[in-house]
Amino acid sequence: MKARGGPTGEDPSPDSFPNPPPAVPAEAGPVKDHSAARRSGRETGIRAVWFLCALFAVITIFFIFGFLLFDAYPVFEEIGVWNFLSGPVWNPTGEPPAYGIYPLIIATLLATFLAMAIAIPLGIGSAIYIAELAPYRVKAWVKPAVELLAGIPSVVFGFFGLVVLTTWIRVSFDVPTGETWLAGSILLAIMALPTIISVSEDAISSAPREYKEGSLALGATHWQTISRVLTPAALSGITAAIILGIGRAAGETMAVLMVTGNAPVIPDPIWDVLSPIRTLTGTLGIEMGEVPVGSTHYHALFGVAVVLLVISLIINFSATIILNRIRRQQAPPASACVPKQVPETGWRDRAGLFFREHRMPITWGLVAIALFAFLGLTGLGIALALYLAVRYIPGRISPRWAQRIAFTLAALCIVGVMLALGIILFDILAKGLPYVTWEFLTKPPSDLGRAGGILPAIVGTMYLVLGSIAIALPIGIGAAIYLTEYTREGRLVGIIRTATDLLNGTPSIVFGLFGFAFLVIYLSFGVSLIAGQITLALMVLPTIIRTTEEALKTIPVPVREGSLALGASKWQTIRRVVLPPSVPGILTGTILSIGRVAGETAPILFTAVIFSTRFLPSSLFEPVMALPYHLYILATNVPGATGQQYATAVVLLGLVIAFYAIAIVIRHRSSVKHRW
Amino acid sequence: MSETTIITTENLNLWYGENNAVIDVTMQIPDRRVTALIGPSGCGKSTLIRCFNRMNDLVSSCRITGMIEFHGNNIYARDADPVEIRRKIGMVFQKPNPFPKSVYENVAYGPRIHGVKDKKKLDEIVERSLRNAALWDEVKDRLADSAMGLSGGQQQRLCIARTLAVEPEVILMDEPCSALDPIATSKIEVLIDDLKKKYCVIIVTHNMQQAARVSDYTGFMYIGKLIEFGDTTQIFEHPREELTENYITGRFG
Repeated sequence: MKARGGPTGEDPSPDSFPNPPPAVPAEAGPVKDHSAARRSGRETGIRAVWFLCALFAVITIFFIFGFLLFDAYPVFEEIGVWNFLSGPVWNPTGEPPAYGIYPLIIATLLATFLAMAIAIPLGIGSAIYIAELAPYRVKAWVKPAVELLAGIPSVVFGFFGLVVLTTWIRVSFDVPTGETWLAGSILLAIMALPTIISVSEDAISSAPREYKEGSLALGATHWQTISRVLTPAALSGITAAIILGIGRAAGETMAVLMVTGNAPVIPDPIWDVLSPIRTLTGTLGIEMGEVPVGSTHYHALFGVAVVLLVISLIINFSATIILNRIRRQQAPPASACVPKQVPETGWRDRAGLFFREHRMPITWGLVAIALFAFLGLTGLGIALALYLAVRYIPGRISPRWAQRIAFTLAALCIVGVMLALGIILFDILAKGLPYVTWEFLTKPPSDLGRAGGILPAIVGTMYLVLGSIAIALPIGIGAAIYLTEYTREGRLVGIIRTATDLLNGTPSIVFGLFGFAFLVIYLSFGVSLIAGQITLALMVLPTIIRTTEEALKTIPVPVREGSLALGASKWQTIRRVVLPPSVPGILTGTILSIGRVAGETAPILFTAVIFSTRFLPSSLFEPVMALPYHLYILATNVPGATGQQYATAVVLLGLVIAFYAIAIVIRHRSSVKHRW
Repeated sequence: MSETTIITTENLNLWYGENNAVIDVTMQIPDRRVTALIGPSGCGKSTLIRCFNRMNDLVSSCRITGMIEFHGNNIYARDADPVEIRRKIGMVFQKPNPFPKSVYENVAYGPRIHGVKDKKKLDEIVERSLRNAALWDEVKDRLADSAMGLSGGQQQRLCIARTLAVEPEVILMDEPCSALDPIATSKIEVLIDDLKKKYCVIIVTHNMQQAARVSDYTGFMYIGKLIEFGDTTQIFEHPREELTENYITGRFG
């Protein structure tokens, strides 16, 4: 660009502008060119850094998939994919060993199915209550409570299930043991509820207000409006919520492992909910620690992980596709002001064009539908039946009564959910708090954890959290900045984003397996702090990328344009206009990740932890104690440590809830402050 | 006052994917005058104005051929720096888009990113820009308050002040009054009349009375084409083209 010389010279010194000197110091031409060159060099450098972050994230994702497949390959070769999948017996230590995972797959499906049968009606009812019926004050308490439920570590659920739920089942159904399919499914239902409730509630709340007003203005009751206008408008969001809930349930390890009895049998008859079962995840959790590295059994476990991964991939893919479609429907196309010209072509061309344009979604859609039919259909069937029931049965009752009944049911749903949360918290706090003494917090354990304290576990968990966040945070934020700010929505970004989404829904035990095979064995880190930190970092990386992206995206495009139109460079705009208001969002995501890292057991099970040590770790290559693992071992392997169990649960719960509470407060504050 | 041309376009074409949204536009825009672009919704006027400071670079499917010259330099030349162009050709958007910062910081933002660090100088620029945007008296006691708390009309004038603070040569306004009430609109129109003493102003508007009131030159666009361009009085009183006449007399929408 030519520096402004001529026009400024001709200035007829306008009278209405009393201060003639230009606001920006008029630099001489060459100086300006020089600074422009320097600026563009810096811009390129910054861009390259973010690009490397994104690249790292993507490579990691594909590397994990590749490595698991690589380690699973021998079993597929030796036994055959079909025999592996359909073999009726899983007995790797028998003579001869049998590697059929059919009963495990069935168990996973059954556990998920029953859990959904409980969670879907409760979840949707609660979502309707929160979105439409709850008075403001109630909502202000119930929503954080649901999020709190999501924050409770799975090992705490497992512990509660083991000591309370299984006992209850054993006594009330008069069976020899309460460790059953039913116990597992109840726990899974409670764990899937927060996902189902929040995503459905979001979908219902974001249905345009005009719909609701339009319906009410026609004289429809509130319930008629909810059931006939709002819920159908939110249907795809609710479907996505259900699928995500299914994913959560199918991928859960610790809670299931602790309460289902783990016998690799198919219930007989198939609806016997009081039979013990063993899921895919449970198998990994139990056997991975004891298997000789490199044996067929070892590879078979990776085969199980691959099957688990495929199941979770398909589930997540369906959810991603549905959610993306909703997002596209809500956002107008970029060239909305230009009428779209439809080329005059035959239907054959048009169909071909349609298929070419949407090849990815169509192909995966078909795959998803296939699994859907198998897994989700039953759950959806229940939801549909319920929906039809509330829609058509009330036709015979007066609308006012229908509304009264429906609202009562919805309120009962939320009461049920709150009751579950209340019982769990009350039981653990009431029985555990008395044992949480100063000594317990500051002494190492003795007598296998029956006496002494848990200081090394608290410190170990802190180390794991700090290390993993220190790894994941810079990479995650950098990758997110690159993805949202520097790329255009092309195929590559699509792939990266999909990969991140998929990794986000991958069962945590799969990360544990990867960490074990790659970090502990292949890189010979051994079971160590660093291996655990990296494994946990990989697990939370997608969450951090995703939440940072979401936070950056809430900054409206016009605000960025405003800055660019003033001659700010890309990075200036990002640093001064985009990043500052996104900090609360990024912070929230980070803190939620910390909570998750602190509470996760499955990823560190084989990578970082030992049960009992009197010492604190002195280097990154030593194993550590960790709170969730300590609780797991105390609860399952150490009889006579009830007080210590409860106290450990209290400490873990307190720690995680504290993180969640901070995150919720930050988000609440920022949502009050910024209204675009 | 002699007229100099500041922006020239030649055979400008713009595509969004397959859509030819701006077709063969050739025009010359004079300095220190107000030029209005009118036409029905979707005719490409906003798209055209966004070409002048390369804001369309942000739209991924967008492709441009032809030429836009600013002081005789092609702004789409390979070595042209969009950042530098936007510093000289500022823009005010349809909806007020203040940054989520204080009133003061909003105005100081531009000078700061262009290297002004001296606090006294910044104070001076902020005050002058706010005065020139006819906003100073309304906000001088709340400079530290968030800009999000201002009324719509005040926010829009703040955006104008923000643009003035970097001392551009051209100010593009994309329907700057469409989100404002009549009083705020008239304040902005008075302001535009004042601005043309020092700046070239190009304004896109839906409102034909507004175009007639504020502009010296008017271009009428229809489905991507610039149908007619000329003196505002001539366009409104003796349009040469039938399409222009039909539009101005309200015979089609």
